[in-house]
Amino acid sequence: MIRLIPRTQFGFWATAFPLILALSITVVVGFLVMVAMSEQPLSDTWTLLTFPWQARTASVQWGFVLQKSSYLAIMAVGLSIGYRANVWNIGAEGQFAFGSILAFGAYVLFGMPDTVWFLPVMLLFGVLGGVAWALIPAALRVWANTNELLTSLMLVYVAANVLNYVTTGPWKGDPKAGQAESDPIHESLRIASIIERTDFHWGVIISAGAILVLACVVLFTTFGYSLRVAQNTPRAQKFAGFSPQMTVWMSFVLSGATAGLAGAIFLSAETGKLIQSENYLNGLGFTAIVIAFLGRLHPIGIVAAALLISYVNVGATYVQSASQVDDSVAELVQVTALFAVLGTAFLSRYRVVFGRPDLSTEGAA
Amino acid sequence: MSDLVIQILAASMLLATPLLLAAIGELVVEKSGVINLGVEGMMLIGGLAGFIALYQLQTSTCTMLIGDVCFTAENSVNQFQYIGSLVVAALVGAMAAALFGFLTQYFRANHIAAGLGLTVLGAGLSNSLGGNFFGVDYTAAIVASVPPLFPENWSEVPVLGPLLFSQNLLVPFSFLMLVAVWFFLNRTRAGLVVRAVGENHHSAYALGYPVILVRMMTIMFGGAMAGLAGAFIVIAQIAPKWTEGITVGKGWLALALILFATWRPGRVLLGAYLFGIVLALEPRLKAIFSNMSLEISYFLTALPYIVPVVVLVLISRNPVMIRRNAPASLGQSFEPRS
Repeated sequence: MIRLIPRTQFGFWATAFPLILALSITVVVGFLVMVAMSEQPLSDTWTLLTFPWQARTASVQWGFVLQKSSYLAIMAVGLSIGYRANVWNIGAEGQFAFGSILAFGAYVLFGMPDTVWFLPVMLLFGVLGGVAWALIPAALRVWANTNELLTSLMLVYVAANVLNYVTTGPWKGDPKAGQAESDPIHESLRIASIIERTDFHWGVIISAGAILVLACVVLFTTFGYSLRVAQNTPRAQKFAGFSPQMTVWMSFVLSGATAGLAGAIFLSAETGKLIQSENYLNGLGFTAIVIAFLGRLHPIGIVAAALLISYVNVGATYVQSASQVDDSVAELVQVTALFAVLGTAFLSRYRVVFGRPDLSTEGAA
Repeated sequence: MSDLVIQILAASMLLATPLLLAAIGELVVEKSGVINLGVEGMMLIGGLAGFIALYQLQTSTCTMLIGDVCFTAENSVNQFQYIGSLVVAALVGAMAAALFGFLTQYFRANHIAAGLGLTVLGAGLSNSLGGNFFGVDYTAAIVASVPPLFPENWSEVPVLGPLLFSQNLLVPFSFLMLVAVWFFLNRTRAGLVVRAVGENHHSAYALGYPVILVRMMTIMFGGAMAGLAGAFIVIAQIAPKWTEGITVGKGWLALALILFATWRPGRVLLGAYLFGIVLALEPRLKAIFSNMSLEISYFLTALPYIVPVVVLVLISRNPVMIRRNAPASLGQSFEPRS
């Protein structure tokens, strides 16, 4: 008989054991997926795990990984703030889109300036766009008691339509392009690469700085503490004098700001123009939700998870081009990891005991 | 003009049915105290499974197969093949839900995280399998339309024809399930157990009811219904066709419907048809006012997602109503006290 006994002591292993187990499950299941999808699973798995050194230029591959993980990590850290307090913003994709839209809007509004000094303004407007879009579900939650999870998600589809509207309407660019898109922004406003010819650009550094600030807020401030209280004992939050309304506002402002910043950096660094939603939004905002849970809502865990998942993602793309293994292998590994982490999380709160109940020692517990 | 009204009503029945099916399933799940946010994912997986099954059934009975296309004279699927594919869709949906059930019930994972994970899994898996499943690219596969339930000439009967006789099998089935679920929850002993588990799992456990087992069963029922809803969207709503992310948020609309309905079957029906009419109006309004401005045109496209937000706001303004109707243990993991 298998029984679960609540832990009374939370040592190092209570945290480490579930994570090691989850990682092992992911590796085993991931390899099985590879066996199912590939003709030479061993060599393809090896390629996937060591792809930066397989490719001609390792720095380019590392650039891809860093760039992708920076978007995921910053959005996930923002989202995790709310998730800690049971405030569910799952509309980061929409806030990302609106950040991009407002960043481009600022560019148009200020007469398309051709100077690098305008870049901070664009990023600021990106942040504002994300915040503005996130404030809608927050306001509805606080003032009308509406389920923020559903409203924030519905607004993703609305934001996608706004993006489609601006790219076919007021900011329509080249009509001969195969897709609805705006004119490109000036070259001076494109975030520069730090290492030549790689995707490792200053946006990654900006994101890392923002993550550091947010991590300090979550881990070392009274506000961060109030979130932890709300997470573990929602009722104690009120007794301790922390306002639940304030938690909702702050969660949405911070998660909207990070998503908006990511959207503005994406606009400046990747595309340089707005494109219709199908080709512009590629699910980063939804992947960020997975990353937040994979990192167990802790900033350090989230950064690690973002790097790991991006590594597998970029690796899968590389393997796809090298040996025709579909790159959805990455998505399956990602979901396996998520389910493994969620499914083993209870081990940090419970001990698994085999055998019959021993009343003499445990009966009192 | 009345032609147009009937047209819109018939179209809204088509659009409301998947919402109704998925919402009925999720209603039972939530009544047992579980919140499964993976409806969208289960719809996608179930829908693809149903489509694959129908394609395989069609090609297995095809006498003149050239490449991937069936060139038999009648080139059609029959009602039995359709029902077979629906069964497959329901089973696969239930299997996807069982995964969620194991994680949340036995491994005590967070309901919301696991549900979102199921949505991500459903989207990812259906995208990759739809593009290549044992060598067949289902985005390009051609499947004949499902024949109507009643003889073809019945659909020319005024009013009743388009509304009743030309509908798909799943439309009457959705009404039947609605009544069955209402009866089950409110008039049977087993339904009372489900509600007891949802209201207070500790009391239900103390009375000797198998909380985890009851929840596993409702979760799998919800998955089966979501699978059917997905199969309806893929196979019956227009013509059988698989495209990536074909449900475009219908699963989330179904979840919104339950809040709108405050967990009452009758209001689920009302809400589903309200959303159905909104969805049906959009293309028709665009066709009538073909010279409308771009702003209004995009506003109309976004309307099916704006209306639920507005409706939810109106409903939730009265917190007492939500609190009185919401299952008290909704979304909490059951941890037996030892």
